[in-house]
Amino acid sequence: MKSPSNHKSHTVIISLALAILTVVAMFLCATMGVVDLDMKTLFQTPIFWNLRLPRVCLVVIVGAALSVCGTTYQAVFRNPLTDPYVLGISSGASLGAALAILMGLEAHLFGIGSMALVSALLTILLIFKVASIGNRMHTTSLLLTGVCLTFLITAVISLLMALHHDKMESIIFWTMGSFASASWMDVWIVLPIVILGIAVVLYYSRDLNLLLTGSETAQSLGVDVEKVRRRLLFFTTLMVAFCVSACGVIGFVGLVVPHCVRLLIGSDNRRIVPLSIFAGALFLLLCDTMARTLIPPNELPVGSITSLVGAPMFIYLLYKSKRKL
Amino acid sequence: MLSIQNVTYSYGDKEILHDITATVNDGDFCAILGPNGCGKTTLLRCIANLTKPKEGYISINDTPVSTLSPRIMAQNIAFVMQHPQTDIDFSAFETVLMGRNPYQRRLQNESEQDWSIVEQCMRQTNTWHLRLSIPSQMSGGELQRVMIARALAQQTPILLLDEPTSNLDIAHQFEIMELLRDINRKEGKTILIVVHDLNLALRYCPKTMLLHDTKLIYKGPTRDALTPERIHEVFDVEASIVDDYLKIDKV
Repeated sequence: MKSPSNHKSHTVIISLALAILTVVAMFLCATMGVVDLDMKTLFQTPIFWNLRLPRVCLVVIVGAALSVCGTTYQAVFRNPLTDPYVLGISSGASLGAALAILMGLEAHLFGIGSMALVSALLTILLIFKVASIGNRMHTTSLLLTGVCLTFLITAVISLLMALHHDKMESIIFWTMGSFASASWMDVWIVLPIVILGIAVVLYYSRDLNLLLTGSETAQSLGVDVEKVRRRLLFFTTLMVAFCVSACGVIGFVGLVVPHCVRLLIGSDNRRIVPLSIFAGALFLLLCDTMARTLIPPNELPVGSITSLVGAPMFIYLLYKSKRKL
Repeated sequence: MLSIQNVTYSYGDKEILHDITATVNDGDFCAILGPNGCGKTTLLRCIANLTKPKEGYISINDTPVSTLSPRIMAQNIAFVMQHPQTDIDFSAFETVLMGRNPYQRRLQNESEQDWSIVEQCMRQTNTWHLRLSIPSQMSGGELQRVMIARALAQQTPILLLDEPTSNLDIAHQFEIMELLRDINRKEGKTILIVVHDLNLALRYCPKTMLLHDTKLIYKGPTRDALTPERIHEVFDVEASIVDDYLKIDKV
């Protein structure tokens, strides 16, 4: 049996190693692309500073955020199938983006992003309002409200597209998710929220373990369930709202990266949360780099790459872990 | 001292508990008896502050439980629930370690002391050899003992158990009850336990609270509680006491 101090230092060392690996990978990926950049002159190249670097930064931030949110949701809702978009925040954001596209706001600097953000935040307010009875929040109603709202909003978006054929392509393209338009502005808007959100999840990571045993058991073991759940959901949904507004809907990362980490290191969230930060970041970085380098000069939708790469990887891990039993 | 003061609880229009008043002294080993649906579990949940009574209150040493934080509550009352979670992948050791949560600070790992308390509680409940097993690999009795170990790791003066023996065969029922009796005698822990088997209560629990139709109809020594007349009134069966055992027949 491992001793307690051993346990913690392992996680710290692995996290540090992964952090360094992530930074190295960011630079490597930034050199790759339609225009191959030379390592020696890298820092003098505008393409590197103004296009590649903000892009890899945003990818890493979003990847980390999505996988931490997925981990949190799966524990809070005690449901392995929940992903960061399950509460309908993504469809809320998509509706905002669709409206912005229809109103012709694409050219504005903050047009689509800010409309998406506002409508994502309104969606969060609506869901929390509907699912709260008194001051208690019922997770099953929250989940069901989210799922229903997703259907409702998706239907509205489909109607909007049916009525405006000419804009259909740009709306669909937005909802597929892409980092092609990533700028430093996006990075500076998303980064603080993601750092704050991840810090909150790390702070409550032991409570996530206890929540998995059921809310009454968690309460009887000293967790202020209502408070912890409310804070976790608030900060994670906020992260999702900002991420979706910056880059659209990118599936699979938030659903499967937490499971992969869990298959590799077990179910203790105090280890899963820190490791899923880097696992999510590295995974999305790999996928986005593939999306923009596989068939230059065109870009593939990053959301389909995440599934193409992630699904076989996940099935392999699952198969391997079942064989061990 | 645990005191239950005029507790009334209702779910919608249906009254579950009606004006219950009782005190449980430190070191009591008390059974809560009564037919299905008479509010036994609800009473435990009220005591553990998992739900609030509509009227009345519950206090530990004159402090109402509703004013205590979950953390302080978890240092005072441990609750072994009726249905332990079986669909999670925490090992028995990790599960029992969760019992130390009310004493741990955030962002801090378990201390060596926590680990030794966990080991001691697991040895006491004879679960140390199961420490690496996950719930789906354990039998009902083993899992129940792990849950009791977790409750012991909370080091609380009061222990509540909701039908801990209901899924177990007779030998394991005795095993659990003997374990609880030991804990009660050696550590002076106050134990409140919901049981269905009247003979188990008679054999192991010196005191009894008998609930019937939302009301507390008797509180006192178990031997005096379980008279054939009262058993007939509450459970609607005929019973007679034979050599300190209840012989029960259908009406």
